[in-house]
Amino acid sequence: MPALEATGRLVGYPTGRGAELLAQVEAQERLQQEADERSTTLGRIVFGLAFLLAWELASGRILDQFFVSKPSHIAAALWAMLTKEALLYHMQFTVIEALTGYVIGAGAGLILGFSLARLEFVYRIVEPYVVAFYGIPRIALAPLFILWFGIGITSKIAVAAIMVFFIVLINTIAGIRSAPAQLIQVARVMGATEWDLVRKVIFPAATPFIIAALQITVPQAMIGAIVGEFISSNRGVGHLISRAAGFLDTPGLFAGIFALLVIVLVMNYAITKLGNHLMRWSPRKAVRDVP
Amino acid sequence: MSANDAVIEVRDVFKVFVAQGDAQQRRAFLALHDVNLAIGRGRFISLVGPSGCGKSTVLNMIAGLVRPTEGEVRYGGTAVSGVNTDIGYITQDDNLLPWRTLRENVEVALEFRGVPAGQRREQATRYIAMVGLNGFEHHYPHELSGGMRKRTALVRTLIYEPSVVLMDEPFGPLDAQTRVILQDELLRLWTGTGKTIVFVTHDLVEAIALSDEIVLFSRAPGTIKRRYEVPLPRPRDVFHIHADPRFPEFYDRLWNDLREEIGVVQLEAS
Repeated sequence: MPALEATGRLVGYPTGRGAELLAQVEAQERLQQEADERSTTLGRIVFGLAFLLAWELASGRILDQFFVSKPSHIAAALWAMLTKEALLYHMQFTVIEALTGYVIGAGAGLILGFSLARLEFVYRIVEPYVVAFYGIPRIALAPLFILWFGIGITSKIAVAAIMVFFIVLINTIAGIRSAPAQLIQVARVMGATEWDLVRKVIFPAATPFIIAALQITVPQAMIGAIVGEFISSNRGVGHLISRAAGFLDTPGLFAGIFALLVIVLVMNYAITKLGNHLMRWSPRKAVRDVP
Repeated sequence: MSANDAVIEVRDVFKVFVAQGDAQQRRAFLALHDVNLAIGRGRFISLVGPSGCGKSTVLNMIAGLVRPTEGEVRYGGTAVSGVNTDIGYITQDDNLLPWRTLRENVEVALEFRGVPAGQRREQATRYIAMVGLNGFEHHYPHELSGGMRKRTALVRTLIYEPSVVLMDEPFGPLDAQTRVILQDELLRLWTGTGKTIVFVTHDLVEAIALSDEIVLFSRAPGTIKRRYEVPLPRPRDVFHIHADPRFPEFYDRLWNDLREEIGVVQLEAS
C-alpha cells in the first residue's frame, strides 16, 4: 500500500519529481476508472437494447410469435396489467409473502445456526439430519405447506421461509465455526466475557458467511412465494402468470415475469448495499502496479 | 533468586498432548518433562530451544489456556486455574480484529474491562502516539503494513497495563529491519515499567539483545537445559549489539549448547 504509507510518517513525504508523478498517476487512475465505469454502463444499455431489438425483429419472422411474443406486445400487456388488472395490488402480495418468509426463514436460521454452532455436542448429534433436510429439494414441501396452512398468504410465507431457512442455517454454522480459535483465546486473555466474545469476535467473524447466505436466498424466497401461488391462489404475481398461461396469453406471461424481475432486482440491491456496509472492513482491491 | 519474589513459578510440570483424529490415530506424546522455572518480577526472560520443544506450551500454561498434566503453574503466589486475565499475550500472528479500525482494536481490551468511552479514547490516543501510528487511527488492519499491525498488537496489549507480558515469537514474520526497529521500540516501552516479560524466540541475537536472562530448552520432550544471565549492561543498543566485546563469546556459548539439541534431532531424522 505505497500511496497510503507515503501519507504517514513511517515512510516519509514524497517531494519534487516524485510528488508530481504521484499526483499525476492518481489523477490518471481516477480518469481511467471513471471512463471504465462509463463504458461499462453504456455497454450494458447497448446490450439490453440490442437484445430487445433482435427479439422484436426475430419474432414473427424466425421465431413463432405465439411462443415468444415480442417486446412491444409485452410492454402493452404490462401496461394493461398495470391499469386494468391491478398489477401493483398483486405485486404487493407477492412482495409481502417473499419478504415475510425471508425474514422469518433467515431469522430462524440465524438463531438456530448460532445455538447449534455453540453447542458442540448437540451439533454432532443433529448434523446428519440437518444435512439430510438440506438435501431435500425444498420446493417439494410446497404442496404440504398448502395442505397445512391453507391457500391464503400463510402457506406462501411458509414456503418462502423454508427455502431461506436451511441455507442461512448451514452458512451460519459454517461461519461461526470458522472464527479463528487463536483470536478467541487472545480475546479471553484480554478479559472478554462469553457475551463479549459472541458479540465482538464470533459474530463479526461469521458475517462474511451470513451475508453470502442472505444474498443468495433473496431469489430463493421469491421462488418459494411464486411456486406457492402457482399451486393455488387467487392473488399475487404467480397467480397472474399462471392465469395468463391458462389463457395462452404469452405477452401477459412475459409481463408477469418482468414484474418479478423488478422485485428481485430491488431486493438484491437493498441486500447488497447492506452487505457492503457490514463488510466495509474487508480488503477489496489490491494495489495496482502502474506501468 | 528465591521463590518468594517470583511472579511466575512453574513447578514439576509434565504435559501430555493427544493428537486429534480418528480413535486409532490418537497417539499421545510428551511435550514437557519435569519443567521447573521461577521468573522474578520485572525481569525480561527469553525462552529459546529447538522447534516443538514446548516453549509455547509453557506460555499457554501461564496464560491459563492449557493445563499441566502434572505439576502446577503459580502466578502471583496462587495456582493458575482458568484464563489468566492479569497478563498480556502477544502471539506471532497479530490477531487484530479485522472488522475493527486500528483505534477500535487498541480500545478493545478496555471495552472488555468496562472502561468508559471517554477514558478509552484518551488512553488509546496516548498509546497510539507512543508507537507513532497517529494518523492511522481509522484504518482497518488490512490497510496497514506488517510492522504497523505488530505495533498495534503491542499497544492494544500494553494499554490495559498487564503486569506480565507473554510474547510468542512476536517479531518472527517481520523483515529484518522492521524487526530490529521493533525490538528497540519494545525495550523503550518496557524500560522503567517494572513489567515482567516472557519472550519466546528462535533468534539467539534477539534473545541476547533484549533479555536479562535466557532459558535454554532441550529438544522434545522439553525440559530446561540451562539458564544464563545475559552479561550485557542496560540500556542496550539493539542496532549495534554485535559490537559489544562480550557479545561474541556469549553468543558462541549459547549456540554450542543449542546446537547439541538441534544436532541430535538432525541425526535421528537422517
